Amino acid sequence: MKNEQLLSISDVTKTFAGKNSKSPVHAVDGVSFTLNKGETLGIVGESGSGKSTLGRVILNLLPPTSGSIHFDSLDLSALSASELRSARREMQMIFQDPFSSLDPRMKVGELIQEPLDIHKIGTQAERTALVLKIVESVGLSPDAIDRYPHEFSGGQRQRIAIARAIITKPKLIVADEPVSALDVSIQSQILNLLLQLQRELGLAYIFISHDLSVVEHVADKIMVLYLGKVVEFGSIDEIFNNPTHPYTRALISAIPQIKPEDRTQRMVLTGDIPSPADRPSGCHFHPRCAFAVDKCRVVSPELLPLTNQPSHSVSCHVFNGDSQ
Amino acid sequence: MSNFKRLLKRKVVIFSLIVIAIIVLSAIFAPLIAPNDPNTQFKEGLTLQGSPVPPNAQFLLGSDLLGRDLLSRLIYGARTSLLVGLLANGVAVLIGTTLGVLAGFLRGRIGSIIMRFTDLMMAFPALLLAITLAAIFSPSLFIVALVIAMVNWVQIARVVYSQTISISEREFIEASKSLGATNGRILRRHILPHLAPFILVWATLGISTTVLLEATLSFLGIGVRPPTPSWGNIIFENQTYFQTAPWLVFLPGLAIILLALSFNFLGDALRDELDPTQRGRRA
Repeated sequence: MKNEQLLSISDVTKTFAGKNSKSPVHAVDGVSFTLNKGETLGIVGESGSGKSTLGRVILNLLPPTSGSIHFDSLDLSALSASELRSARREMQMIFQDPFSSLDPRMKVGELIQEPLDIHKIGTQAERTALVLKIVESVGLSPDAIDRYPHEFSGGQRQRIAIARAIITKPKLIVADEPVSALDVSIQSQILNLLLQLQRELGLAYIFISHDLSVVEHVADKIMVLYLGKVVEFGSIDEIFNNPTHPYTRALISAIPQIKPEDRTQRMVLTGDIPSPADRPSGCHFHPRCAFAVDKCRVVSPELLPLTNQPSHSVSCHVFNGDSQ
Repeated sequence: MSNFKRLLKRKVVIFSLIVIAIIVLSAIFAPLIAPNDPNTQFKEGLTLQGSPVPPNAQFLLGSDLLGRDLLSRLIYGARTSLLVGLLANGVAVLIGTTLGVLAGFLRGRIGSIIMRFTDLMMAFPALLLAITLAAIFSPSLFIVALVIAMVNWVQIARVVYSQTISISEREFIEASKSLGATNGRILRRHILPHLAPFILVWATLGISTTVLLEATLSFLGIGVRPPTPSWGNIIFENQTYFQTAPWLVFLPGLAIILLALSFNFLGDALRDELDPTQRGRRA
């Protein structure tokens, strides 16, 4: 099942028109990738790198400015509004903040049942039974269904959000920073729940996070975004054992190490990520890059496979180009 | 539920509810409790000089300039005031909510058109607009109510519009969209339940405005047509006796003020309790 292609994104761009003669914001710029069934893609980047926008564009919650998205042999941009709504049964989203993504005026049972009501799945009795089953499978007690979201802790609320996302048996879940609003102790519980559900249901995840150490636990492949562009893409082993782009290396060196002997020289990035409305010329990363050469300031590098690792692509003149 | 319990702890709320209950009950049971027929002109109701008589055993609150019983007219007048108030306010809330929700939810061109039209209506002095409308259509109880509704929906539309926008921006709305919910479902299940408290508050506050506007229109002689009693036209008819028989003007005025104040207090208290910034206090 792992080798069956589920999602194929090709050259997707999302530009937000600038208001009042401000320059347009290039949130996502020419992103392509494919995802197989049951696989997890981790998308990492700082805030402002366009990772959340990309997640919403993949689900067509925001229509892409250009490019195509094929999900399970459907061309999402060619679907009518109602066809797209029914396709949403197969692709769900988990949001960062479970305090705001659950309607505070609905009971937990109603919230979890809502996807079934929307897609008219089963009779009322079947829906109630399924809700109870799902509530248990995400680790909540059955009496939760008669209570309101504000009676639960952050981790429990994220379990409610997960229950909502999996009840229609989707093939793809886009999780936008699903654990970053939670305590560290709760984070691993939620991550383990997500992994367990993936094994049981054969889900594919797109896991968006700013935290590489979280992505390391769940992802098969990793995509590193910087100002809307993919700077590095590869399997988890390739990225962690052979980080090539200076930005990826900086992100990995920022992960805290427990054992002192594992600690290496930290590569500290200076400055903030520039505004996506006013991106630097050439390679967008060059103002913060310690290795930048003249070409980086002028020519935008392409995302090319490494010669010794064809599945691992890097967009850098210095480490994967002719300026080596 | 605890909201309403807390509401009842306020003395003003109790006072308002009692006043409203008395007025509503006397409106409903007017034929049973009114001592006299409101439109009968009694011989004993006028002095030999033809002026109104002060309060006595037969006319508990005195008589008006045509020798009719003031108390009975006030009791029947409550019917008119409440009917116009509720009807006008109901229509205003309906129009205001519909337009406000549509504009706030759809935004874009349709939203702009609706809200510019609302601004346009807001720019007219309400009373002037009401007088013009009332002058065009020959006044009857329902026309008066409709005229008042035409003037009063504007503020409600404004409030509902901005609330709808702020609710639509919340993440659970996007979450519903990502589940595949239709716009209709999002409106019904997620936006309207959050708007309900605001609509309730504004509907309550609006009653006092409509009651006052009805009284004003009737006082100006373009409201409810005599002989149907309304608190406004009782003042209008009797204003010439303001100095010799002040109760004829004072008592209907008091009734108007009490009713308007009560609904205002109630609306304010409801707003305090249902205000989202206070919701954190809820257990």
